[in-house]
Amino acid sequence: MSLNPKNSVIEFLNEQRGIVKSRTGGWFPGKGVFCHGYSMMDELVGEKSYFQVLILNATGKMVKRPLADWVEAIYICLSWPDPRIWCNQIGALAGTAGSSVVAATAAGSLASDSRTYGVRPLLDGVAFIQNAMEQKRSGQSVDSIVDAECAKHGGKPHIVGYARPIAKGDERLEAMERVSEQLNFTEGEHLSLAYAIEKNLRDRFDEGMNINGYMSAFLSDQGFTAKEVYQMFSLLVMSGVTACYLDTYDRVPGAFLPQQCRDMDYQGAQPRQVPDP
Amino acid sequence: MKHEHDEVRSRNESFSDRVVTRIWDEEPCPDNPYLANTNRCHGYDLVELMEKRSFVDVFYLLFRGELPTPEESKILETLMIGLINPGPRHSATRAAMNAGIGKTDTLHILPISMMVLGGAFADAGVIEEGIRFLRKQRRNDPSEVAGRLLKESEPPTEGDRILAPGFGSLYGSVDPYSKNLVNTILELPGAGPVVCWGASFANEIQSNNLGWLRAGVAAAVFADLGFQPRAGGGLFQLLNAPGLLAHGLELANKPITAMPFIADDHYVIES
Repeated sequence: MSLNPKNSVIEFLNEQRGIVKSRTGGWFPGKGVFCHGYSMMDELVGEKSYFQVLILNATGKMVKRPLADWVEAIYICLSWPDPRIWCNQIGALAGTAGSSVVAATAAGSLASDSRTYGVRPLLDGVAFIQNAMEQKRSGQSVDSIVDAECAKHGGKPHIVGYARPIAKGDERLEAMERVSEQLNFTEGEHLSLAYAIEKNLRDRFDEGMNINGYMSAFLSDQGFTAKEVYQMFSLLVMSGVTACYLDTYDRVPGAFLPQQCRDMDYQGAQPRQVPDP
Repeated sequence: MKHEHDEVRSRNESFSDRVVTRIWDEEPCPDNPYLANTNRCHGYDLVELMEKRSFVDVFYLLFRGELPTPEESKILETLMIGLINPGPRHSATRAAMNAGIGKTDTLHILPISMMVLGGAFADAGVIEEGIRFLRKQRRNDPSEVAGRLLKESEPPTEGDRILAPGFGSLYGSVDPYSKNLVNTILELPGAGPVVCWGASFANEIQSNNLGWLRAGVAAAVFADLGFQPRAGGGLFQLLNAPGLLAHGLELANKPITAMPFIADDHYVIES
């Protein structure tokens, strides 16, 4: 079918056949396990924390222990055992249905790849604050940065990282500010701008920063890109999902939020006869 | 520096008391409100559907709300057969095989491979954009659209060229599988305007070694059948699912040595 006598794609792919090329590492029986240039058994196990290695695998960067501890604290903040949260409810439903704990945790974690909550909005959160930083550096005021963003949403303060569904305010901010202080982090320029945006939104719209806004600004100050932040938090909600799974798995099967037929509000077509094809 | 934040308080949003569905009506048994005596899909009794209609008809009904015409049903059935298996070399199938050979719980083969099939380069992740592209362009001259897109981008130095969502090269050439699938659909009386437009567009780009990709064919048929763009990716996963499961199960009882394990001297760590 090819009209191209010299198909460069075939040549390229032929060079890759039967070969694994890794920019990450690998296991060579008898020689060791290697991870981004480190010997895992000699230089990582017992030497670095799990979150240092997690960040290494997610970004290629070996961060210092305090930053890894900070990320670990965020993992605690972002995963709580309340089955009313959508990803957690998937875990609870998997439990009441008798799925395996791994299936439940993977399913709930996958749910957090959402446009509305969980991990994916971090892409927009980091992009927003880094873009806002560029605007500030070029002389824009916080007012005009907020105005421009609100204009994209019909004048409403729907800025990723600010405001929050279900509740106003975010109890995780003060907890993480305490962690940052304990770990001796100082406020960087992205975080300062985020606080200024929060103040602006509070004064004008009665809306504040949420944990996404805080994480996005803090991690921007640490030099991470939006993509790296998304990658670091791929299993952010897993722990709460596991907890919600177990809470229902260990009870009577099918007893989690049972629904009667009429608990569904059917608003579709009325009963009708099936026509012959 | 201490910063002031909002006090945490509920927005007191008004949530629905019940989930609304327009798809399925369960009529409860008189003596047990949890058991459904009758199940209706968009108003049709499921038992009556079993007796009178094909699986493809009811599949269409489930997503579209109305039963298909015989022509629409035939088009969908043809696409379902065409997409029933992405083939043993596809990344999603190989993921299914890894689950199978690795003795992963066989219940997980399908979800694992479905996730891989969600890829945004050429698979389910392309369909939504593909439907939008086709719906937007179908009133434009395919020759003009092709000429513009060919001018707007350069072929990559390595790998395949994607000219538009669902259209490009596969292994450097026009994909004969997708082309044959489209040709089969085009011969049917129900072939729709989007597939016809896509075929003209594919003809215009063929001399550049570009053409239909499987995702493009699916997107075009879905658009003709009236499926919404956001439904397209999941439907593509569903239609490819049988092949993924079959290949995973095929390896589930075989020893772990029945699949290649790349030797250390073919494993290169790049700096």
